[in-house]
Amino acid sequence: MLNYIIRRILLMFPTLLGITLLVFMVMAYAPGGVGGPVLNEAGNMKSQEAQRLREYYNKRYGLDKPPIIQYARWINQILPIGFRKVDNNSISDFGFKWPDLGESLARHRPVTELVRESLPITVLLNAVCIPLVYAVGILSGLFAAQYRGKWFDVSSGFVFLALWSIPAIWAGVMLIGFLANRSYFNLFPTSGLHETMADQMLFLPSGWGPTFQRGWLLDTLWHLVLPLICLTYGGFAYLSKLVRGSVLDNLHADFVRTARAKGVAPRDILFRHVFRNSLLAFITVAAGIIPSLLGGSIVVESIFSIPGMGRLGVEAVQMRDRELVLAVTLVGGCIGLLCDILRDVWYALADPRVSYE
Amino acid sequence: MSSSTITPPAPAPAGSPGANAGAVDLEPSRSLLERVVRDAMRGTGARIGVAYIALLVLAAVFAPFLANSHPLLMKQAGAQGGAQTGAWSSPLLRHLTPADVVLLVMFFAVLGVALARRLSGAKRLLILAAVLAVSSPLAWWAVRPPAQVIYDKYRTGLADKSVEQAYFVPIAFSPDDRLRDQPDIRLGAPSAEHLMGTTNNGADLAANMIYASRIALSIGFIATGIAMVIGVVLGALMGYYSGWVDLLGMRLVEIFSAIPTLLLLLCFVAFFEPNLYIMMVILGVTGWTGDAVFVRAEFLRLREQDFVQAARACGIPLWSILFRHILPNGITPVLVNASFGVAGAILTESTLSFLGIGLVNDTSWGQLLNQALGSGGTFYWWIALYPGLAIFLTVFAYNLIGEALRDAFDPHAAKRGA
Repeated sequence: MLNYIIRRILLMFPTLLGITLLVFMVMAYAPGGVGGPVLNEAGNMKSQEAQRLREYYNKRYGLDKPPIIQYARWINQILPIGFRKVDNNSISDFGFKWPDLGESLARHRPVTELVRESLPITVLLNAVCIPLVYAVGILSGLFAAQYRGKWFDVSSGFVFLALWSIPAIWAGVMLIGFLANRSYFNLFPTSGLHETMADQMLFLPSGWGPTFQRGWLLDTLWHLVLPLICLTYGGFAYLSKLVRGSVLDNLHADFVRTARAKGVAPRDILFRHVFRNSLLAFITVAAGIIPSLLGGSIVVESIFSIPGMGRLGVEAVQMRDRELVLAVTLVGGCIGLLCDILRDVWYALADPRVSYE
Repeated sequence: MSSSTITPPAPAPAGSPGANAGAVDLEPSRSLLERVVRDAMRGTGARIGVAYIALLVLAAVFAPFLANSHPLLMKQAGAQGGAQTGAWSSPLLRHLTPADVVLLVMFFAVLGVALARRLSGAKRLLILAAVLAVSSPLAWWAVRPPAQVIYDKYRTGLADKSVEQAYFVPIAFSPDDRLRDQPDIRLGAPSAEHLMGTTNNGADLAANMIYASRIALSIGFIATGIAMVIGVVLGALMGYYSGWVDLLGMRLVEIFSAIPTLLLLLCFVAFFEPNLYIMMVILGVTGWTGDAVFVRAEFLRLREQDFVQAARACGIPLWSILFRHILPNGITPVLVNASFGVAGAILTESTLSFLGIGLVNDTSWGQLLNQALGSGGTFYWWIALYPGLAIFLTVFAYNLIGEALRDAFDPHAAKRGA
């Protein structure tokens, strides 16, 4: 098992190399090139200043070099071991160093800092979202399987397929339009994660009646309601169908018939015998659902202006901010690949029949 | 092996395919695919889905005859007073674009081929390809609509009596008719004249929706087609050779599926000027991994079978072994999943257009939806409701069809539903 995990982790590196190379080359060979909107600023400057700006970028990022050398420079920059001094024409001083994701072209700030600011927000969104999806999905799937063919099963199958088909962009626009709008119901905030004054709030709600203050926690939750709705409803459908299918597979198994014959209570059959055996299928999806949620948060964060990883990525791409795009790709790719490995390991742990030897 | 992670699992169908398994066995002449399609179409959901898509195809093909500012028939007033009347003319036909004409020709060709019996599948495809090859250059050469279009001349003409009579199609507005003669109609709510309201540049929303169905349909089909071709070829090579080809190929699959799809798409789209065709290619190039994994699994299973050994022993060329001997035995799961692929492509295109990175010059539903939330917290409910509903219904229809197909294909699902 350990052998397998190590092999998988080692295989991650060529894959990550491939991911970043792919994205890097797309950017390098695209018409307009890297940092187009940023370099366009040079158009407003005096020719000497523009020249100096261009020289600075060339020195900093090697933009006048062939793309493959630029890529090698970037790889050297993010590795903990490599050349410490990379000049325009020479490299020297090989050894250990701090890995560095570079500086954002458009925002002139270290990329590591930007990622450290936005990653927790996306993680928070997903950390609230995943348990919710699981609770609702598993319960409704179990009920649908138990009452197979009855009205709950048929209607939930249809309703969930419909939910699964609702585009997140539509749901987001309609929710903002009707529930966060002065002309209809002004119940929720339209954007962001906190009120402007959230920093000065107490953590927990306080006061009663007219002196009531909702506090930081409640304020955050209040801002999270609409984005969470957008992020979760598709997951219900997916998971509920999966649970239903895998529970039905097990409901017809011999061991269930035996349990029924010896008089085990139906509730115990469902939860202790069938459900346990169906866990395998959810585990496979559990890890697979995380990357898809990250993808979903790109949309949701853009609609609700939440400064998370997804929005960071969209803005980076729009500004052609090479270092930032690569960093977001790297982080996203790492999470995706780790979830893949986690899934396969989990799978083997949950089911003794699965082995990778 | 990994079929479970790509699409949600099958629920039990209402009309169970399992019940007619006996009848199916009596007709060995039908191929697996034909059987699957026939079984799938027994369910209500699949029928509703197909009916909706058919309606959408009709709207896309006959779009110029549904929404157009040019009158279908028009009678100009005579030059000197009302004594002599001008001739009847049809500005609508005059302004048809080559694409409109090719679409119409192809529609009737498909209809004719589908109605003609006793034609083999290959012959039908050949006829359609021939019609397309002849009609498109001919249309581009012969159909030359006027470059400059003034939409409001008919409306002003009717008002000042220089046009005596004009018969319009049901929605008397073209999608790019910005109603410059009525500037205060911009962003108007639905009314008797504009059934779905108007957009932020004053165009009729209903007309735009009808024309946008062309984009949704073509993006879905062509992107999925490209993804399928890439996936099938790579998957076939991976499965047939296994070994290091397989290892390399699976890394490639991993690379493409580990990047969040939307981010990869954003990169491609943001760095290349997006137009409809590049968009289709990009969606295809990023969406092939699922198909490749399916086909690879099928080929791994089939490569050791006797008929493949026999084909190899006969000295049949490789492409023939791969695509004529093995592929027909392993393609069905890919085709069954194609419906979900189409739904996904439409969803992705509308998401990109909504984010402002997708199509710019062509109107798509996602791009219309983007206009719904105005600055300063204004909300135009009709621009949110109708385009969003169109995306949802289209995706839902394809998902309904896809699910029915998969239930008919997957014997486990069928057993459960019985």
